[in-house]
Amino acid sequence: MIAQLRCELLKQRTTRLTRALLLWMIVLIVLIVLLHSFGLSPSTLRVAGNQPKVYGWGTSIGALFAALLGALSITSEIRTGTIRPTLLATPNRTLAIGAKAIAAAIGGVGVGLAAEALVCVIASAAFAIRGIHIAITAGDFVQMLAGGAAAAALWAAIGAGVGAIVRSQVGAVVGLCVWLLLIESVLAGEVPSAAKFTPGSSAGALAGMLQSAGSLKLVTPAVGGLLLIAYTALAAGAGAFTTEKRDLG
Amino acid sequence: MVRHDAMPTSERQTWRGPFAETVVEARGLAKRYGDIKAVDGLTFTIERGTITGFLGPNGAGKTTAMRLLLGLARPTAGEALIFGRPYRQLDRPASRVGAVLESNDFDPGRSGRNHLRTLALATSISDTRVDQVLELVELQQAACRPVRSYSLGMRQRLGLAAALLGDPDLLVLDEPANGLDAAGVHWLRSFLREFASQDRTVLLSSHLLAELAQTVDSVLIVAHGRLLAHRRLDQLDGGAEALERYYLELTKEGLA
Repeated sequence: MIAQLRCELLKQRTTRLTRALLLWMIVLIVLIVLLHSFGLSPSTLRVAGNQPKVYGWGTSIGALFAALLGALSITSEIRTGTIRPTLLATPNRTLAIGAKAIAAAIGGVGVGLAAEALVCVIASAAFAIRGIHIAITAGDFVQMLAGGAAAAALWAAIGAGVGAIVRSQVGAVVGLCVWLLLIESVLAGEVPSAAKFTPGSSAGALAGMLQSAGSLKLVTPAVGGLLLIAYTALAAGAGAFTTEKRDLG
Repeated sequence: MVRHDAMPTSERQTWRGPFAETVVEARGLAKRYGDIKAVDGLTFTIERGTITGFLGPNGAGKTTAMRLLLGLARPTAGEALIFGRPYRQLDRPASRVGAVLESNDFDPGRSGRNHLRTLALATSISDTRVDQVLELVELQQAACRPVRSYSLGMRQRLGLAAALLGDPDLLVLDEPANGLDAAGVHWLRSFLREFASQDRTVLLSSHLLAELAQTVDSVLIVAHGRLLAHRRLDQLDGGAEALERYYLELTKEGLA
């Protein structure tokens, strides 16, 4: 397993996809956080309960890009054909997919940290410029960074599972974006009692911060973490199972 | 030519008795995709130290058969054994089998050397061996450039380098001469001859007769997923020309 993991981490470092993903994430975060921190009225933002509408984006965007990192680690290999040498070197497919999920999770920690830190810096600067008191405590910031990194790590492994099941690059990317940015928000607005248990909301619970937190009461970080671990096991397990069964390469 | 020295020679040249050792074996191997029988009951064996050509028109099932041999696809019937086992059950398969199925299985932005390093890590092979195979296929100069900038011939050689990483006893190559210029084909031929002379085995496919006739010891002729003939070339009087006549006759019957 160590050998396969080292191989996957080297692949992660030597593909342009990783850099492209990070760049897109930074662009998206800057846009969204500036839009929300300057777009929402001062009276709204002064209410402490509304500040997650800005700060909470780090969790979901971090989770999204970590998931994309995981999914692309598989779909891009299928697209370019490198999956063939990969599976010839490691014919045990559960091992191959498992190594990809773990490598994605390791990369996901970095993605999650970067996303949360960037959001914190931009949002806090914007609040300071507008003279709005930041109601978020030092403890909240720590939870945001640590919990956000952990949530992104788990989401990266979920992404790897999704990539293994879907196999199509476009399908996996569109599916993950639609789920995290659209379906999760719709659910949070329409059925908040159920929506707090979704994978996206669980990430929010772990980080203590989610942009849809206004309408949604998050579960505790411990419950959120456990839920997310369960979703990860399900996605990665299903990914390994289908890859084991299918013809590939 | 660089020596293959990852495995001691004494282990490779064990005495194998009066009967040649079977390296590849297909028994009633079949693969259906819906109504299409891509491979339809192939049975053959390949012996150690030989170069066998898988010969057949486009769409004859050569690539599918190779994918079945290498465990990338599951047969609908029959079985494919390499060194007596299904590929997916081999211990450290890279040290037994090297394979190239497509000439362009690379991440375009990754350098040739990094491509080999990823595979070397997965199979616990040292970076020294990576540099060795790069030298062997004469790609040292381009090793650090992204594969995007490689010509088709260079990609073929990089694929071959990847297959050779584990210093295998069997090479499985799908259309290895595609995209090679005359010098490249010549280089490949002498490389494969040298490889087989060390008591190792090669299975390669081609849809072009001329490429094969001068390289192989025997041919497996397939059409429509079925094996039409398995012949040693030294049993055919008249060499390349005879092979061509033989092949055309067989595949014409096969089509009828």
